[in-house]
Amino acid sequence: MTNVLLFAEQSFNFVGVLLAFGITAGFALVMGVLILVVSHLCAVEEDPRIKQVEGCLAGANCGGCGYPGCSGYAKALVDGTATLDACGQTCADKKAEICGILGVEMGSTEPTICVNACCGGTQCNDKYSYQGLGDCVSQNALAGGSKACSFGCMGAGSCADACPYGAIEVKDGYAQIDPALCRSCGICISTCPKKLIKRIPASAKVFVACSSECRAKEVMSQCKVGCIACGKCARVCPNGAITMVNNVPVIDYSKCTNCGTCAEGCPRHCIKYVHGDK
Amino acid sequence: MDIITMIIAALFSQNFVLVQFLGICPFLGVSKKIDSALGMGIAVTAVMVLTCLVTYPIYAYVLIPLKIQYLYILVFILVIASLVQMLEMFLKKFSPGLYSSLGIYLPLVTTNCAILGIAKTVTATVSEGAIVSMAFSLGGAVLSGLLYGLGFTLAIVLLAGLRSKVDKLNIAKPLRGFPITLITACFMAMAFYVFTLVA
Repeated sequence: MTNVLLFAEQSFNFVGVLLAFGITAGFALVMGVLILVVSHLCAVEEDPRIKQVEGCLAGANCGGCGYPGCSGYAKALVDGTATLDACGQTCADKKAEICGILGVEMGSTEPTICVNACCGGTQCNDKYSYQGLGDCVSQNALAGGSKACSFGCMGAGSCADACPYGAIEVKDGYAQIDPALCRSCGICISTCPKKLIKRIPASAKVFVACSSECRAKEVMSQCKVGCIACGKCARVCPNGAITMVNNVPVIDYSKCTNCGTCAEGCPRHCIKYVHGDK
Repeated sequence: MDIITMIIAALFSQNFVLVQFLGICPFLGVSKKIDSALGMGIAVTAVMVLTCLVTYPIYAYVLIPLKIQYLYILVFILVIASLVQMLEMFLKKFSPGLYSSLGIYLPLVTTNCAILGIAKTVTATVSEGAIVSMAFSLGGAVLSGLLYGLGFTLAIVLLAGLRSKVDKLNIAKPLRGFPITLITACFMAMAFYVFTLVA
């Protein structure tokens, strides 16, 4: 009862309400004016093109270009210290728009995807049983990983953890990249301690899924699907797009017509189709 | 309160994050890397010092004489948010290096409960009858702002260090990421709880 009375008494205290209102409004006004003054005093002139370029970028802030987020990349583009090739996800017409804003020539910006140049996994022998921290760098630090092949994917999945698009999955003991999800940002490339992940043109259908530079005898003892450098792919390629370099075939994608003859002919099945079985 | 007691209270036995559970959001959100955790800690410390410097006179010379202490949350948040905004613009103009390392954290901490918590702590009052007086001096208030800020920095950097180790371990899948971070923070809080028993 007394509480209700008190409340009734207080609710007529218009002076108190006005005082509270006035003080709050006064603080707000003072702060507002101060912010206005400071913002005029501390105005920083910025190139308006930076905002325009940033608007055209994909905006995923993946960091694949090596700059802190898309805004950092946009600034570098305007400064001329970065090229458009560094971004793998902004689509071609947006890149053309950026070229228009910056007044530069459009370079070769053919879309690419990433592939893992190893398909050993469970088919590759282990030289010891690894029991340490679950990332590739730690495993690689211990005698080059547990795989018998020193060029092989260890399948600990550091690339899969690093991929911002969830495109990489470790299946059958090695990292497999889904070409439909890969945006070629390149974070996996810099994550992989074995440097196995490579960029190839998105239009390519085949890639070499082995990086072993060892000779045939050694490869045979380590891995069931490793390249034995027989050179058959280089011989059967109708366009002469494949050359053998350091015991692994290298495909020149400017000559490759995606006929698939090399993948059909490979006795070790280590020339693979990007999109699964043909 | 002598200075040693103050330091121990601010860093350990009354640690804002791990004992008083204030400012948990940046504590869990920005503790993935030690670098960014340190940046966040420094930003919080800077804003805490600024907060104490500003809210103390407002409370002592405006709110108490007018007997409208109940407005403190409204006025403090208003003043702190505006001041941090101004600080950010000031840094952007005069210290772009500091701005690029601290700039992104400053707006995040403006309305943080740790900041309001420090304002509430340093404006504690002692009332003798009708006379209400401040428990701290202005210097003491600013000093405790600095010390509690350092306590926050200590907690967040420690968690970031633990997280960078824990992330590499082979942890059961359902516990990866935030669950294990919460468990880590829980153990840290239990460890810090011991300080409250001692002090």
